[in-house]
Amino acid sequence: MRKLRALLVRLWGLPRRNREDREFSEELQSHLEMHIDENIRTGMSPEQARREALLKLGGIEATTQAYRDQNTLPFFETVWQDLRYALRQLRHNPGFTVTVILTLALSIGANTAIFSLVNALLLKSLPYPHPERMGAIYTRVTGPQPWEERHHVDGEQWELLRDNVPALVSAISGSRPSGVNLESGSRVQYVQSARVSAHYLDVLGVHPLIGRNFSEAEDLPHGPKLALLSYNLWKNTFAANASILGQSVLLKGEPYSVIGILPDGTTTPINADLYIPIQASRQGEGSGTNFVCVTRLRDGATWQQADTQINHAWSLRANKYELADSPGGQVTYYSVPLQKGETDPLRPQVLTLMLAAGFILLIACANLAGLTLVRLLRRTPEIATRVALGASHWRVQQQLWVENLVLALAGGMAGVAAGFLALRGLLLLLPEHFLPIADVLLDSKVLVFAIVTSVATSVLFGMLPALTTRKLDLRSAIASREATARDRVQLRQILITGEMALTVILLAACGLLIRSLIHLQTLPPGFNPTGVMTARASLDNVRYHDGVAFRKLLDDSTSAMRQIPGVTEAAVGLSLPYERALNEGGIEINDGQEAGQKVMADAVYVTPGYFAALQIPVLEGRSFTEVDGPEAQHVVLVNQTFAHKFLHGNAIGRHLDKDMVVIGVVGDVAIAPGLSALAPLMNEETIYVPAAQMDARQFSLLHVWFQPSWIVRTAHPIEGLTGQMQRALASVDPTLPFSGFYRMQDVQAKTLAMQRIEVALLGTIAGLALMLSTVGIFSLVANIVAQKTREIGIRMALGSTIREAMLNIGGPGLRAAALGLSIGLIVSAAVLRALRSALYGIEVYDWPTLATVVLVLVSVSVIATVIPALRIARIDPARTLREE
Amino acid sequence: MGDNDVWQGTLALMILRTLESMGPLHGYGIARRIEQISGDQLIVQYGTLYPALLKLVQEGYIASEWGVSDNNRRARFYKLTRAGRRQIEKESQRWEKAAAILARFSSPAEESL
Repeated sequence: MRKLRALLVRLWGLPRRNREDREFSEELQSHLEMHIDENIRTGMSPEQARREALLKLGGIEATTQAYRDQNTLPFFETVWQDLRYALRQLRHNPGFTVTVILTLALSIGANTAIFSLVNALLLKSLPYPHPERMGAIYTRVTGPQPWEERHHVDGEQWELLRDNVPALVSAISGSRPSGVNLESGSRVQYVQSARVSAHYLDVLGVHPLIGRNFSEAEDLPHGPKLALLSYNLWKNTFAANASILGQSVLLKGEPYSVIGILPDGTTTPINADLYIPIQASRQGEGSGTNFVCVTRLRDGATWQQADTQINHAWSLRANKYELADSPGGQVTYYSVPLQKGETDPLRPQVLTLMLAAGFILLIACANLAGLTLVRLLRRTPEIATRVALGASHWRVQQQLWVENLVLALAGGMAGVAAGFLALRGLLLLLPEHFLPIADVLLDSKVLVFAIVTSVATSVLFGMLPALTTRKLDLRSAIASREATARDRVQLRQILITGEMALTVILLAACGLLIRSLIHLQTLPPGFNPTGVMTARASLDNVRYHDGVAFRKLLDDSTSAMRQIPGVTEAAVGLSLPYERALNEGGIEINDGQEAGQKVMADAVYVTPGYFAALQIPVLEGRSFTEVDGPEAQHVVLVNQTFAHKFLHGNAIGRHLDKDMVVIGVVGDVAIAPGLSALAPLMNEETIYVPAAQMDARQFSLLHVWFQPSWIVRTAHPIEGLTGQMQRALASVDPTLPFSGFYRMQDVQAKTLAMQRIEVALLGTIAGLALMLSTVGIFSLVANIVAQKTREIGIRMALGSTIREAMLNIGGPGLRAAALGLSIGLIVSAAVLRALRSALYGIEVYDWPTLATVVLVLVSVSVIATVIPALRIARIDPARTLREE
Repeated sequence: MGDNDVWQGTLALMILRTLESMGPLHGYGIARRIEQISGDQLIVQYGTLYPALLKLVQEGYIASEWGVSDNNRRARFYKLTRAGRRQIEKESQRWEKAAAILARFSSPAEESL
């Protein structure tokens, strides 16, 4: 402790050395005079007394130095000196300093932003107590068609898990929150409601702020209607009034009693405004895999026990749907940490980005190493002079490293600021609820990462130049201004080759993603998206479980919308093109050569105007009309893919599910696939049924999953269209709000969000890489020109032309770039294969992309070489020769 | 280091002891006192004394403040702190032990004869 105290006091003494020195010389002075006084008292003459005293003192300077060494820390003092020297040096070279700090800010900023994502998604624990005891269940199928994923579970699995796996507290939720209408007083709100099982909050370790959780008895089919409110909803809608507990709120047109309020800031994996009991069974929703399950290990149990119990419990099932597509396969289940389960789908993308960001850092290092190398070269005479004057090798090194560190830390700070801004921008880019976490923050871990990265960067870019000073030949270094220029140029060429190669990889990867996105965005949509406005409303409402009310709402609201001046058609559909549609299994084909087959397809209920509103062509037969009412012959339209795939092009007049007759074939439209997702947007086999002929018993479930869309087509843009649509709907049901209005471009953008984000992020990174490489080549050539001005002057005096001189000077830059380009292309050939799963409509070896990359890099390299080389033209041989 | 120079380690203890018996004292006074006690066998070099004083200040065993000496000279006075008093106990015991051990070496035990 005493040692530590002394160290701190000495550190403290560093900046106040001057005052301390003054005080000490005063003390010595008084000491000396007291000594002289005493000597005089003992009878010496004043001169003698003084000489004797000074002799005894043993040299004021030496004493002062010994005192100063004790007072401060000699090592730190030199560091302090170096620090001030470094700052002075950097101030005198603003160009160099700004370039370095800017380079660091961009590269460390990019890394900080991406690392924040990695940290938030993969490193940070979930915000629940004992997150390591929380799990998700993965399914592994081995055999002819193996697969492995976190699979949703069905009602039978849920009941067995709940009742026969004592090692776990288990819970389920619906797969995503659904939009519902909450009426409070005269106000109707569209809120996100999640359906969860009894112990959902127990698994998360969340306790209601006030009130209580759902009990097991309340979570059974046909149980009571209860609701838990999130803190924000309670505060914003109910003014944080605790008396709401036990009262009823009107949700989905029915009273739900509020039994609890969640604490402020609670996040759940499903993140909704309110929670209601899921009351799952093996029937209805539970007959399919529609539940997401989360688990928590009970005290004293182990994951091995839990997995054994799960496998045992689920082996007893009647319906082993997992093996439907892989007959003869084996299925097992295992637990993984919930963290992994929640973030697995995003993991490859995030890690790819981190890798790309790492490339940027390497490129930046190569550039900075080149810059510091040149700077060192210019300072060689200065350093040589210092060594000649007796500075130790270590002392010179220390000074160089302090300078690097100052740069790195300044750059690091700028980088954190840049990273913060980049992260905010990135989060704005993401659609709501895109990430399975509440927020991405720059926390202490990210800051430590940024600092470590900066220091590591400074070591990387400082190492090369620092090593070259070891081979300093004093005599030639002091004498010559050009020093040992040759091997330094080679060194820099190697650096540029490396950064060029990395840039090729990043640009090629980015190019492929851009091409892929363009392919998806320009897919023939199969309908006319311009001039269409859509709006969504929740029909998860007890009023609309009745077929008559449902039909009246659709008919009256669409005809009210048709009255809006400028609207040419209005319709309603359960889902829109570009969106995911309802998957319906077990559709039976009743006649023809395929009789008896059961198929799976997307199913969409639509009002008669749907195909006209979206301008989806009717290829054969007829579209729906008002005639196709509830009492009429049940009819169905199939799309082209369905007709080809299941009916061999012979569709009209065929019967599906016994009583439905196919009356027409419509064109395919691009949708987000739900059956076999080969691309984010594609055509999928689809059947369309008239909304009027829907079985009303299906609505309670269908409208939990899907919020139908109202579609209007206008002949020209209409001022205030959305307001008029809302009024048209309100004229039929004043308590039914639209949740939002979307043009078809918005719907498409939402489906392609992941691709757009990938392109935006990787594009930014590749752009940075290109910029840094350009700067690298530019500064290399510019420096060669500056160094060789005299040589060029002599050459030109001896008859060399400007063109020859430019070729001679620009050569090293171009050769390095060309080599880097070739290496980059070779490495890309291997690396880009990893991107295959993210590419649609193009091959990994996409010649247009690669040709563009080569073209861009070649032109950028040539420009970066030619511009500095043009200075040669301004060299006046006579003047350069005189200069020496 | 000459024969009559002071060892660094012992100097600290001597300074503390001096301050214990004399009360607050300036650097010159401390040097004179140590030399007197040793019967002028020790010479306290200032280059040794002041760094030692500073070290004790930094370790918190003594404190310093400016004052006026007997013959009206401005001088820096050093005085013991509470930690310093405790340290005297510890250091003294350590030195006694060390001295005892050394004594055994300089007067060989009888068994070894």
